[in-house]
Amino acid sequence: MSTAPLIHVVDDDESFRTALLRLLDAAGFEARGYASAGDFLMHPAPDRPGCVLLDVRMPGPSGLELQTALQRQGLALPVIFLTGYADVDSSVRAMKAGAVDFLAKPVERDTLLDALRRALARDALQRTARDEADRLRARFASLTSREREVFDRIVAGKPNKDIAEELGIAERTVKAQRAQVMAKLEVGSAAELGRLAEQLRHLSDG
Amino acid sequence: MRLAGAWVIAGFLAAVGLTAIAAPETRNVLVLYSNGRLLPANVEGDRGLRETIRTSADRPVMVFDEFLDMPRFGGQAYARTIATYLREKYASRPPDVIVAGGQDALAFLLGQRTELFPRVPVVHMSVFRWFVRSNSPLPADVIGVPIELDFSSTIEQALRWHPQARHLLLVTGTTPIDRELEAQLRRDVARFKDRTTAEFLAGLPTGAVLKRLGDLEGNAVVFTPGYFRDGEGRSFTPREAVEAMAAAAHAPVYAPFNTFIGAGIVGGYMPSFAQMGRQAGQTVNALLDGAAPGSLGLPEIMPTTLNVDWRQVRRWDIDEQAIPGDAVVHFRAPTFWEDHWKEATLAATAFLLQTGLIAGLLVERRRRRLAELAEQKQRFELAHASRLAIAGELTGSIAHEINQPLGAILSNTDAADLLLESGADRRDELRRILADIRRDDLRASEVIRHLRTLLAKHPVERKRFALDDAVSDMEPMLRAEAGRRGVTLVIRPATTAVALVGDRIQIQQVLISLVLNAMDAVAGLPEDRRKVVVSVANVVRGVAITVRDRGHGIAPEHLPKLFDSFFSTKREGMGLGLSIARTLVEAHGGRIWAENGPGEGAVFHVELPAASATRPVAGGV
Repeated sequence: MSTAPLIHVVDDDESFRTALLRLLDAAGFEARGYASAGDFLMHPAPDRPGCVLLDVRMPGPSGLELQTALQRQGLALPVIFLTGYADVDSSVRAMKAGAVDFLAKPVERDTLLDALRRALARDALQRTARDEADRLRARFASLTSREREVFDRIVAGKPNKDIAEELGIAERTVKAQRAQVMAKLEVGSAAELGRLAEQLRHLSDG
Repeated sequence: MRLAGAWVIAGFLAAVGLTAIAAPETRNVLVLYSNGRLLPANVEGDRGLRETIRTSADRPVMVFDEFLDMPRFGGQAYARTIATYLREKYASRPPDVIVAGGQDALAFLLGQRTELFPRVPVVHMSVFRWFVRSNSPLPADVIGVPIELDFSSTIEQALRWHPQARHLLLVTGTTPIDRELEAQLRRDVARFKDRTTAEFLAGLPTGAVLKRLGDLEGNAVVFTPGYFRDGEGRSFTPREAVEAMAAAAHAPVYAPFNTFIGAGIVGGYMPSFAQMGRQAGQTVNALLDGAAPGSLGLPEIMPTTLNVDWRQVRRWDIDEQAIPGDAVVHFRAPTFWEDHWKEATLAATAFLLQTGLIAGLLVERRRRRLAELAEQKQRFELAHASRLAIAGELTGSIAHEINQPLGAILSNTDAADLLLESGADRRDELRRILADIRRDDLRASEVIRHLRTLLAKHPVERKRFALDDAVSDMEPMLRAEAGRRGVTLVIRPATTAVALVGDRIQIQQVLISLVLNAMDAVAGLPEDRRKVVVSVANVVRGVAITVRDRGHGIAPEHLPKLFDSFFSTKREGMGLGLSIARTLVEAHGGRIWAENGPGEGAVFHVELPAASATRPVAGGV
């Protein structure tokens, strides 16, 4: 979060790209230009906060196709579309695919910067969520296999006695391991543990 | 044998006899004129005579002319010589009838009759009645209708036409006939002594006569029968004499002979020499047909008619209304109608028919021209409507093409704004920004210009233009559209530049139609098939434009209808694009056709004649 955001501008129109980069520069952003979707994919973005300003219509893969590709690769930088002609069809597709905004050229500075800020905010949010999930996964990964077995059964709502019986261990041992799991996962109650389990399931699904 | 010979001879003789009966004898008519061959009176009389004497296969007639050439020759010895000459000349062709043309000829015949062709009937013509009377009784076989010169009627008429005339000039000559005419004239003029003074220029030298006539004042009228010889002994034909007088006289000249008409006289009551000839001819016919000379019941006298020369009527300002209706008017330029009524009618009819035909054709031509114009206008409107439709289809691309530079401009100005706010000296950067703004501005206006050119309702042009330029002008828009549709567009220009003559916009329209059509054909196909290739190539007589797509191709049953109006396989298609494309191509003397490609997809071909090989663009759209 401490690193400054980097804005990626993908537009085949050099003149527009240059102008946009200039504006972003003047507005205090660090920005990088790419002449095509392929060009952008060839130069993997460093893991920095930022967003992509993407022209819808470009030779080769279009902005929409690039958006899909980015998502597939997990390069989840927020995307703002820019288009010379905002037809309903492509704007709907873009928004459905999770675009932050769909802006028509020529675009007002305030509109652009506003969208940019929202995109960066979303990026920050996504990053926070991602960091949190990472931490969660790390915590979960620190559980021993016995502790995971206990965790699963706690989440399933089983009492210690049943867990001890199922696992063939002493009830006292189960108690000790429950305490261990809650400490490792940094939760204070069974309810909290249940919520966390829910989050984890979500992450593994996602 | 002998018997047979006798029969042959008899047959031969019979044949000869038959032949003799079958070939009618040629009848000879000898015409003897008093004067020379070219005397107008003789020429006219001869004409009337010859056109009347009937000759035919069963009664062939030969006419011989002889001229006594009096009064240049004369006297007893001359008469005898001529008589001998004629007798000997015509011994082998003895005349059946003799015609005496003029009283000298009649006098000669009467005098030489015992020597010359006695018993041959004589028909006289152009002989004065006083001569006949003074020689009467003529032999019974000398017949004819005499003439009488009606001087009085002529003078009377002249005075009527010139009411202010107070002076009568009468000109005569010196030969016996001249003297005879003078005598008659003197008798007749007495009648007018109350109204006019009479002045005889009788037997004067021609010079003196002409001088006197030239000195005349306005109130005189001249009358003359002409003369054969003047006071100096110079010979004339009377017509020559009259011609000279009429030319010199400061007064209208009247005369008693119709042969003088045209010599400058106003006119007069005249017997007609042609009529005399015809009368004599009829008499000759009767005699040749075997009529007895005494049985013919000939008229007493040749009639006279009033003859006038229209030109003189005008010259002397004679009241047209005062000309009697039965007068023979000469030299009045006959009205066109009188002269050529048949031709005129025919020509007028032909003209009317022709005019009608031409009018019909013109009407038809105009009708067709109007129809053509209407059709042209319709095609023009349709072509324009089609371009508008194309533009509608290209709206996205057009907007893109314009908004791209506009977006750059706006961002550049915003950037500049921010740079200025920052307070730092970024002049170089600002200068670059301004340069970019200018460039983008021009770019946007260029797009609009192209669009305007394409969409404007411009009159059809016939200019020379480079095909490559026309194509490259359209390229950005086509590329934008291809980009929008995710279609790869490849444009392959010709190896050498090609010039066309025609309407550049229309050719661009054709190109756009074909490219859009091709893009439609590949819509929805996998990316590797979304490809349209436009190539321009030089061919022998011009240029070939090919638009190739990788779509599904054209169904064989659609191929013949492809360029028909309102034929479309697209749900939203009007079916006009290709039909208009064909109209435009054909208006440029080219052709357009489509076929399925060798692999997949369709190929559209356009061939246009190159400028050098091009006939002027026909029709126009």
